[in-house]
Amino acid sequence: MNSLKSLETTFIEAFDKDLGLLPSDTADVWTASRRQAIRSFADAGFPKRKSEAYKYTPVTKWMSEPPALQSSKPVSALHLPFSALEGVHLKTVNGQLSSPPDHLPTGLTISTLRAALETHPELVRGHLDRLSSGSAGDAFSTLAAAFAPDGLFIHVAKGTVLDAPIYIHHASVSPDALVQPRMLVTAAENSEAFVVEHLPETGAGAVFENRIVDVNVARRARLRHLVVYERGSQARFVNSLHAHQLDESVFSTNNITLGGALVRNNLHVVPDGEHCETHLNGLYIAQGGSHVDNHTLVDHVKPNCFSNELFKGIVEGGSTGVFNGKVMVRQDAQKINAYQSSKSIVLDDTSHVYAKPELEIYADDVRCSHGATTGELDDDALFYLRSRGIPPRQARVILLEAFARDVVELIPLDEVRTYLNTRIGELLAD
Amino acid sequence: MLDIKNLHASIEEDGTPILKGLNLSVKPGEVHAIMGPNGSGKSTLASVLAGRDGYEVTEGSVSFEGHDLLEMEADERAREGLFLAFQYPVELPGVSMSNFLKHAVNSTREHQGKDPLSATDFLALMRENAALVDLDPALKARSVNEGFSGGEKKRNEIFQLAMLSPRLAILDETDSGLDIDALRVVSAGVNKLRQPDRSFVVITHYQRLLEYIVPDVVHVLLDGRIVQSGGKELAIDLEEKGYDWLREETGVPA
Repeated sequence: MNSLKSLETTFIEAFDKDLGLLPSDTADVWTASRRQAIRSFADAGFPKRKSEAYKYTPVTKWMSEPPALQSSKPVSALHLPFSALEGVHLKTVNGQLSSPPDHLPTGLTISTLRAALETHPELVRGHLDRLSSGSAGDAFSTLAAAFAPDGLFIHVAKGTVLDAPIYIHHASVSPDALVQPRMLVTAAENSEAFVVEHLPETGAGAVFENRIVDVNVARRARLRHLVVYERGSQARFVNSLHAHQLDESVFSTNNITLGGALVRNNLHVVPDGEHCETHLNGLYIAQGGSHVDNHTLVDHVKPNCFSNELFKGIVEGGSTGVFNGKVMVRQDAQKINAYQSSKSIVLDDTSHVYAKPELEIYADDVRCSHGATTGELDDDALFYLRSRGIPPRQARVILLEAFARDVVELIPLDEVRTYLNTRIGELLAD
Repeated sequence: MLDIKNLHASIEEDGTPILKGLNLSVKPGEVHAIMGPNGSGKSTLASVLAGRDGYEVTEGSVSFEGHDLLEMEADERAREGLFLAFQYPVELPGVSMSNFLKHAVNSTREHQGKDPLSATDFLALMRENAALVDLDPALKARSVNEGFSGGEKKRNEIFQLAMLSPRLAILDETDSGLDIDALRVVSAGVNKLRQPDRSFVVITHYQRLLEYIVPDVVHVLLDGRIVQSGGKELAIDLEEKGYDWLREETGVPA
């Protein structure tokens, strides 16, 4: 099969047509970075068939039909359930900031990445270098770094504590093209913020989003992050998040996947400071032949840190769930507490879950544990509900909602929790 | 109310016969006790009546309020007014008591053509019935049976019985694992729920429970059949003499 190679060529040629004709000595840092990224992509190529990281989610599966690189007219979501909640609200079109909000709380900066290259060069340069060099992230990340025309920049200044969340409504997207957004969130020392991203259903179409999110959490900063993915049943999504934490910082990300045909979450956190706290959580419901793959890596390089992971999945209708969670504890990272749990329910025998927890420990004074369970709905529990008069379909929904609730309960926003519980109930009742 | 005729049932998986021609007739308002040693088929009887999977009825019939019980699914039986108090109540992590009972109560009400209970009425009903078995009203926010003590789980079964107000309640070894105080609370709750149009089948290993819940009829189940029936004094005989004399008298092998 040579399709991977020809796909790579397709991307490289498309890029050249777009940007390659510019003079190579351009002083435009942004363009230079994109050109560097496509070179990194060309060197490494897509993950091959034998790649362990893409074993259950082969790239050929993603690209069985090469996505169009020219964006068509974006389609907007009809309903944005979180738009009336208290907080700062941003909208994007194909991942690009559509209109910057006019009243921002003091200490909060929101702009395009290219603009931020002028205003906060020291913050943005590292982000550009990391991605374009291909040193972190895989081919999907370098590809997005090459193609993203611009990006979104969110900066919370030193000591700024935001009382209400920043909501990003990824509200409009081209229905049949490859959209490659990038985003950088930086939380400066002692700051506190909560970023909620919603990718709502936008109607028919095989939208393919390949995006990169970089997060920097400085000393004693606390950053919370939630992604709710609800695109349609043909949509594809590669969500590559890379978070870097410094001393005594707290970072949590919760990834709720309720839609899409193919979803891959690459969540990579480096607690690069002492006394960091890291939470990685996720919930997915895979139905109608969809494929959801959560790949996590917590790379403990410094001592005295805590990390915890909880991922839950419900899989039915010929769907597949994948969880690959790796915890790495480097030699100098003593006194680490790292916990990981993955639980899934497979509702029929046409569906599958592949769970692979990995611990790689080089330090000797650590406490780590992992557990992965995959099972069916508990017959005794179903019978108990039915013996109280509850019809089987309803009993099933009650138990599945309860299973999912652990992850939803971690979200400290009542309205968002209520919305999600309702949506989950609707999805499971169908 | 309940008419069981020549009931034969076996374990579906391996075909082992458990019930071998059981006959039982329960009239409205009566309390029947079923006693028997381990392995005589007591819990199988409860499971078959409640509609648990894993058993196959090979012969006989069960009529409940004039309907063919065996034709109904487990949840239909419950909505028609049959209640099973479990020997081992199931823990439902993440399912709150109030959510669980709201679904249960309203499923039955819907079946009876009644509107769902209002939130206020439902809470009042919960409070009233929790008091019946001395359960903390704060339990409504807790997950069903999760973290409940053995005694709380059994009281919770009687609480659910009260909430669902069935025509026929089967208590499957409700006394097992209870200390004397808990046994008194549970029995008092059951006694308050006795009424002329509600019947009870009390399955137990020991006569002790029957000192508190006084039965109209006591049956002895041996090797899948009822071999003797009598008044409440039969339970006392059994407690004193064990089951062996009955085995000899009725020719049932040990």
